[in-house]
Amino acid sequence: MTAASTAAAAATLPRPGPWGIGRYDVAGQPVFFEVGWDDWQRDVAWARAMLASHGVGPVKGDGPGGTGGGSPPCAEKVSGGLVIVNGMPESPWFDPFETAARELGAPYSIGEIYAFEAFRTGMYARRLPITMIFGIDRTVAEGLGDELAAVVARVPVIVARPDAVGLLTGAGARPFVVARVGPALAVECPHRSGAHLNGAEWAMAERGGELFISTAGPRAHQVREAALGLRGTLTDGPCGCGRGGQRVTISEGA
Amino acid sequence: MPDERFFEPDVETMPRARIAALQEERILELVPYVYERSALVRKKWEEARVKPSDINSLADFTERVPFITKDDIRQFRTAAQDPFGGLLCTDYADTTTVFSTSGTTGDATLYAHAWDRWHPFWAATARDLWEIGVRPGDYVLGSGFKMRGPLYHADQMVGAIPVLVNTGIGGWATALDAIRRYRPVYGQLTGLALAELDHLSRTTDMREVFSSFKGAAFAGEPLGARARAQLKSWGVEVYLWTSTGDVTGAWECGQHDGCHAWEDCVLLEAVDPAGSAQVADGELGELVATSLDNPVTPMVRFRSDDIIRMTRQPCACGRTHARFWPVGRKGDETIVAGRSFVPMDIWRALEGVPETATALFQLIRPAREIDELKVRVGYDPDTTTSVPELRERVSEAITAAVGVPPVLELLPEPELLARGRGGKLPRVVKA
Repeated sequence: MTAASTAAAAATLPRPGPWGIGRYDVAGQPVFFEVGWDDWQRDVAWARAMLASHGVGPVKGDGPGGTGGGSPPCAEKVSGGLVIVNGMPESPWFDPFETAARELGAPYSIGEIYAFEAFRTGMYARRLPITMIFGIDRTVAEGLGDELAAVVARVPVIVARPDAVGLLTGAGARPFVVARVGPALAVECPHRSGAHLNGAEWAMAERGGELFISTAGPRAHQVREAALGLRGTLTDGPCGCGRGGQRVTISEGA
Repeated sequence: MPDERFFEPDVETMPRARIAALQEERILELVPYVYERSALVRKKWEEARVKPSDINSLADFTERVPFITKDDIRQFRTAAQDPFGGLLCTDYADTTTVFSTSGTTGDATLYAHAWDRWHPFWAATARDLWEIGVRPGDYVLGSGFKMRGPLYHADQMVGAIPVLVNTGIGGWATALDAIRRYRPVYGQLTGLALAELDHLSRTTDMREVFSSFKGAAFAGEPLGARARAQLKSWGVEVYLWTSTGDVTGAWECGQHDGCHAWEDCVLLEAVDPAGSAQVADGELGELVATSLDNPVTPMVRFRSDDIIRMTRQPCACGRTHARFWPVGRKGDETIVAGRSFVPMDIWRALEGVPETATALFQLIRPAREIDELKVRVGYDPDTTTSVPELRERVSEAITAAVGVPPVLELLPEPELLARGRGGKLPRVVKA
């Protein structure tokens, strides 16, 4: 089969470089950064734990989907799967969560981050029995227009970017937060005590309400006290979920 | 195992007889599989009084199995409340990804896969990147859109390093910065990207920027003559690619003599657009696709509405799989005041007017036959000094091309670009 034969051919090739290159801004200036293959694997493991804490796992329910006659996966019979809202250039942050969803047995779909692509997030939420939208931002939330309230009512767990929290709350959601903080991604757990940073990889500092990031782990990208141009607060110490370490709360609109 | 020339030499150059034998083997496995599992397939076959036991050869398949259209999928979806339109052959729980078509024609179709390491929709694309010359350790510029899944998997399959910056809309200034820094050998372009690059070329030495490129892929819509000439002037070798009925991609090789369909992955047919008979090699036909490597939502004799010319003659590049040349979309032909034209006629006319040379336009057509030629046209606000004067020149150009004076709606390009979807602007819209 094609997928198998191409994968076999790919397996014979060396991968002399990193997983990929991403870009973020420090003080308005672009910073390009490498994500190594080892970095990516550790990011996937962390993403797996964060998604699992929100209940992401195999689809639950009784016999959905077409086998033996095409019974559709309707929300009354089954639930599971997620829409991960992110753009191609955000893949260094979100690909680990896509990979983690797959590894957890949860089907995922991609909602693009452009306003004209907002319909796609709404379409998946309408047609599929998804239980989470992860990464929705203000552009997509606004782009959903009148459909936003229905999406919020249908999807039990919404993990939103900081700029979308107010809009989603106004539409009836109680979103958790996911935020890009420089080269890292911070994700709130179900205990709602700020978005967790992967402390094995990154460390943050806050001075006068401004946030700075440093590399803590053995990553390809090493950075020290980089000003993120974000305002927020940091919390340290144990969280109700059992994790320790830093949690960040980004000021809305950042 | 890849060699210097081909990613999968044995597969890419297999003799025609072996391709046919492989396809027949896969089709005969597919027939009972989809009949048992796909509700839409069974419905269509029962209506056509076709049973799996009737299909004992590739010839039986192409002679007897009924077509499936996008309308069939949509109608089944509505009637059965089945989001997959009756195509899903596994449990939803057994899928790993559910992606969708661009939705340019107004309603996206879901398709699903089950996979482990590399997304199968892009698996065969590794062969095409190898053909362009992408090799382990090369940097490549990431593509603009993700709705069909991680295209960078194909980059990583060949050992390349994707530079994941914004190459969608509004991101090309920073993308050029990334090109200068990493000197990628390849990238993806769309019509919307070319419109942006056209503006940037006024202040940027594009020949220098793209000097590291071995090639750039272009897809989503036709490449106009002006854009093609512009890319050539920048030293960019363009490899066109297109979809084979939403089953996989088909890319040009270095010969630029048709897009290679990977026939171990898709059974490709060209049939009479108004009927069901196969057309001869080289004749215009509608692309009909059958998935040979997707057990989750396989398309079975899916009529794509894409009009192509196809040949099964081996290519001068050494590959033996069928090639085709996209010609247009079935139903794009429009009749206004008794005159027939296709969107490409308007495209060429607009390319001749400097302020609209990026040819960003939409034909507003509530029906195939219309009384009035309404066209929404994007213009460059930086170079347009008088919109009323521009309106006159655009009107003259379209009238000369189509033979009918248009009713124009002129919009600054950014406003029209905002109506794009999935990297392309719908060229024919109802309103």
